[in-house]
Amino acid sequence: MLRTEEFTLNMGPQHPATHGVFRLILHLDGETIVKAEPVLGYLHRGIEKLAESRTYTQVIPYTDRLDYLAAMLNNLGYVQAVEKMIGVEVPERAEYIRVIVSEMSRIASHCIATGAYALDLGGFTGFMYPFREREKLMDMFEMICGSRMTFSYIRVGGVAADLPEEFYPAIKKFLQEFPSCVDEYDGLITGNEIFQARTKGIGILPAEKAVKYSLSGPVLRGSGVKYDLRKARPYGIYDRFDFEVPVGKNGDCFDRYYCRILEMRQSHRIIKQALEQLQELPEGPVMAKVPKVLKPPKGDVYHEIEGAKGILGYYVVSDGTVNPYRVHVRRPSFINLDLIDEMCRGWKIADVVAILGSIDIVLGEVDC
Amino acid sequence: MQMFGSGLIKGLAITWKELFTKKVTVQYPDEIYPLPDRFHGKFKLNKDACISCGMCVRACPNKVITMETETVARKKRLLKYTMDIKYCLFCGLCVEACPKNALGYVKDFELAQYKRDKLTVVLAAEEPLPREEKERLEAEAAQRAAAAKKAAGARGGSAFGNKAEGGE
Repeated sequence: MLRTEEFTLNMGPQHPATHGVFRLILHLDGETIVKAEPVLGYLHRGIEKLAESRTYTQVIPYTDRLDYLAAMLNNLGYVQAVEKMIGVEVPERAEYIRVIVSEMSRIASHCIATGAYALDLGGFTGFMYPFREREKLMDMFEMICGSRMTFSYIRVGGVAADLPEEFYPAIKKFLQEFPSCVDEYDGLITGNEIFQARTKGIGILPAEKAVKYSLSGPVLRGSGVKYDLRKARPYGIYDRFDFEVPVGKNGDCFDRYYCRILEMRQSHRIIKQALEQLQELPEGPVMAKVPKVLKPPKGDVYHEIEGAKGILGYYVVSDGTVNPYRVHVRRPSFINLDLIDEMCRGWKIADVVAILGSIDIVLGEVDC
Repeated sequence: MQMFGSGLIKGLAITWKELFTKKVTVQYPDEIYPLPDRFHGKFKLNKDACISCGMCVRACPNKVITMETETVARKKRLLKYTMDIKYCLFCGLCVEACPKNALGYVKDFELAQYKRDKLTVVLAAEEPLPREEKERLEAEAAQRAAAAKKAAGARGGSAFGNKAEGGE
């Protein structure tokens, strides 16, 4: 038998399909992947270390820069961790606002995931449609907190400000239009034969393996494991809403992608319910009475929420001073990336882009 | 069984619809998309409202704001207020911290500059008061304080007297 030499191909760090500065060293046998080595750290900013020299409130803007596509969820995770520490009761109104903005953030993140996935696989039109809805969401975020991506809106004890008047008609219009927009994504991307040929049966991830490697989010649910923290261990007021946890069947790229589409519909349901319940609430404060300078008691706390990419956990240690002694973030994209080598092995070069895109990584979060 | 290609045709039908919808492009330099009231843009400082408490300086996570003050007659007076915009995160913590709403935003996002040093924005610059003026103000304040103390002493004495009477 003639033996051929292995070929090493460098994908990234400046590759558009890696969704940021991510490098993948591919060892190839012909066109087949023998091994895929991820190289991380090109976007490392040391956010966990920076947090140690900031006060508890000042860390919030830095959490925005982890998963910058769903910044509200990062805010929420950190803030709830600190609230657990100092034991503060958040006003009802603020809880509803938090649910609304975090589900909006989840939709915005999934819009990018689906749109960029279509782009990765060569469908530019499919990229534009989800981005159109994301643009509307960002306009609304701008009304709420003045920023389009790095919100810093959620505060320890509530939110920075109540929802503005002009937000309500905008969100109502959005909620009305959104289901038909998701139908459009279904028609454009999901139903497309080329897209299906590129994703169905590719990069299969068995459920046991996904659980073993503690994967989470749509990547785990795509493999058929019904685990969502909003249902399994409701935080905030998530137990008050009626929604389903969509799961896939085969654990291939298509299921992971389709899980996100279905999740967008569920998030839409949650926002609708939250908005209805919010409008029945009387006007009230959106901030609990929290001291200006936070000094949590000595100790540590771990709190996790269901982020857009998976389970987002914050571990905060306090030594009794105004600055956290240590902040560690369990970043879902980073942990979901663990299995990239095994998922890529045996597939062709062209499938690497499909597999990587289906995991939906954000490098701000991977490198932290 | 679906016919192969029907998905593609359905997709084309969706894009075709878009041809007849209204155009949404904004011709940017000529027209500007309306910005919301809470927009985080350029900063403005109301010098008269500022009490130089330094809350914004302490709230900033990135040490963007520097403030120079002088104390005249036990009252802080703002001399210079600088923001190093190149390090600003536009998180809004400084504006939120201001107890007098002196710091705010302007709806302007065109903050790019050609030179690096232009990114240091001076929001307030005042000359320190001349020595005579300072002395005059301090003397006036001392006079006022003495007068107030005298008045308070007189009032306090009578109040005490009343109380003593009531007690008897």
